[in-house]
Amino acid sequence: MKVFKYFISKIFLRKAVLGISMILLLCMANYITFTSSRSILSTYQGYQETKYINQEGNYIANLDPDSHMDMGLINENGTQAVYSYLNSYYNYAFYVDGFIVSVPNVDDMEVHLSYMNEEYYKLKQFELLQGVDLGFDYQLDDEIPVLVGKGLSKTYPVGSTIRIEESAIGLPITLKVKGVLKQNAYHSNYYALNSKTYYNFSIFFPVNKDFINHANIDLQLNGLMDITILQTSEEGVADLSEVLKDNLGLDFNFFSQKENYDYFNEYYLHSLKIMAIITFVLLAVITCISVWNALVSVRLMLKDFTINLLVGLSYSKLRKIFYIYFGILSFINLAVVFIFTAFNRYGCWIRKDATFVTYGLFGLIGMDWLALLVVVLLNIIIGIMIVETMLRKIKRIPISLGVLQ
Amino acid sequence: MTKIIDLSIKEKTYKSKNSQLSILNNFNLEVAAGEKIAIVGESGVGKSSLLNIIGLIDRNYVGAYTLFGSITNSLHTSELAQWRNQKIGFVLQESALINSLTIEDNIKLPLLYAGSGKKEFKAEDFESVVDAIGIKPILKKKPLECSGGEKARAVFARGVIMKPQIILADEPTASLDVENKERIVTLLFKMNKKFSTTIITVTHDLEIANRHDRVIHLERSK
Amino acid sequence: MKKSLFRPADILELSAVYILCFSLNFAFDYVKTIDLDSYILKSYFRSFLEYQLLIVILFTFIVVVFHYQMLCGKKAEVFCRILVGDTAFHITIRYAMDCLLVLMFVYLLSTLVNVYWNFSLISNLHLVAIFITYILISAWQVRKYESF
Repeated sequence: MKVFKYFISKIFLRKAVLGISMILLLCMANYITFTSSRSILSTYQGYQETKYINQEGNYIANLDPDSHMDMGLINENGTQAVYSYLNSYYNYAFYVDGFIVSVPNVDDMEVHLSYMNEEYYKLKQFELLQGVDLGFDYQLDDEIPVLVGKGLSKTYPVGSTIRIEESAIGLPITLKVKGVLKQNAYHSNYYALNSKTYYNFSIFFPVNKDFINHANIDLQLNGLMDITILQTSEEGVADLSEVLKDNLGLDFNFFSQKENYDYFNEYYLHSLKIMAIITFVLLAVITCISVWNALVSVRLMLKDFTINLLVGLSYSKLRKIFYIYFGILSFINLAVVFIFTAFNRYGCWIRKDATFVTYGLFGLIGMDWLALLVVVLLNIIIGIMIVETMLRKIKRIPISLGVLQ
Repeated sequence: MTKIIDLSIKEKTYKSKNSQLSILNNFNLEVAAGEKIAIVGESGVGKSSLLNIIGLIDRNYVGAYTLFGSITNSLHTSELAQWRNQKIGFVLQESALINSLTIEDNIKLPLLYAGSGKKEFKAEDFESVVDAIGIKPILKKKPLECSGGEKARAVFARGVIMKPQIILADEPTASLDVENKERIVTLLFKMNKKFSTTIITVTHDLEIANRHDRVIHLERSK
Repeated sequence: MKKSLFRPADILELSAVYILCFSLNFAFDYVKTIDLDSYILKSYFRSFLEYQLLIVILFTFIVVVFHYQMLCGKKAEVFCRILVGDTAFHITIRYAMDCLLVLMFVYLLSTLVNVYWNFSLISNLHLVAIFITYILISAWQVRKYESF
């Protein structure tokens, strides 16, 4: 420790420029690694999530990009007819998100209503922190059972009631909190799997057939956009497409499990491959510059190193000193990445961005910690490369020559 | 004999964060052309500082310095540089070489700054210096590939290549064996004899010091 | 043999660090022009583009490292040159001019690339300003060797 302190105060800090540059280079490498790892992890989580929905026999609806939607031509009779047909011949998973409702809460967040039917709820297998699962057997003039996110449960614990002006049916209704979702429960966007909506300030609203029949055209139409038809066939969805076309004038595509997987593999894997290649190239360049920086350090501090070797410092001890020094630099960088991420997460709370606020250890969620772990691994690899290169360089120069530098 | 150096130093100080060191207080030196002077004294009394002042490298002192009849304090830095190039030769320890250049390039370094029309330099002059000093075989080598004695001779060659009127030698034999030491001293004195070059040597070696015309003992300032 | 402190290897090294900095800036500008349909790649690039200026400026620190190591490594050379008739002032000017020449060469190269890709010609100017600042600061350090 005494020797290390001596090296830090008398050698490394005297050439602080080189230490600072190493920190900056590592910082860039760490940021690149952290960002890429988190994107990949988030995409993987989204991919796993789609597996619940994308099962054999299920068909996920998607409005044809070439289909022109004219709201003037779409009326409530049309959407009602579609839902009547759906209710008569199909099992389907219904989910609509993004309706904001005024619900006062201690964190002063805006609250989102997430509408889902029983099939969707069962498919997604949400985990609960408290209470019981969502019930779908209710009357509109009764208290409607709902689940709330962890953030909202501070104001509305299990058993409490929430009075809201519900926009989909345009009536004041009373919600009864039956359960609390596990913290950071999320929903991934099917078309951007790395993008997530967190449910910490959401209310899960149970949707049954009676509710859909009373709901306004916005909710009904929105529900059709991502509807999943369960346990059907090509012919079944072909019939449904015709009904949709006849009643709404819209062309819908229904994608099977295989088609969805093919799309994921082609679109997401390709994107992830490009991301991985770019990350690898950037890291390789930064590593080369870091090695150059390390060799410059050896060149400028050679006399100091060799004089210490001359008076009794062993190469193994010098290696240890280098590793501890590099470890300290890595730790500084990890701290920077950690603070940056925690600050970003905290920023969502400051901005009252309800769909992005999360809970986690020191503000970081599991995905962040995993990405930090990848960063640690990268630092170990770069550290080994740099320290061993420096030592090889020092060993190649005779001590007598180094002393006379 | 003509007086070429007339130096009068009232005070020379070195300042650091916490202390101030004063050396060469009220020091006077007069040197005639062709004289051989040795400067001796314990470490830290200001021997090398004195050499730097005489060699026009250091002007941070209180006093007056007349060299070749000109008051140096009023000279411009580029004139000082020209004098260092044309009239003064430095023979320092072996480490004063540029490691990235060959020995030949190191020796020819002063020619780079000689300019045109100042002092004519012939290729034969270089050859004769190289032959006299015996470093022909190492001309294409770099300093790190040479022995201490070879490097010392290269430094000597660089110091005398311009045939200066004054040679300032700072411990030129400090890290050399007996044979190389004798070789350098002989070369120095040969220059003095052949061209009447003034030699000022800083040394700890009293045997070498006593072979000079005059020995100046520097003592610590009180 | 010239009066410059620069050897061919030093010129190559300085060119390389300048090229790396200009390339990074170019890469950012290039990514901005790509019409991506992949949301993942878009958000990935956005996480860097948001901090483009900061990243590029921090990256230019490798040029500081170059100047620093160059001057540290040339102490003996500066000393020797002053001994044999050079002046610290002239060495300083020559050092600054050499750096500026290399910078101008690399800047012209980057300008040509920008012209070829139809990018703004002023997108690299801030880098030139940063590098000139570095050159002036480092050249000022050469003068420290005037008195020994």
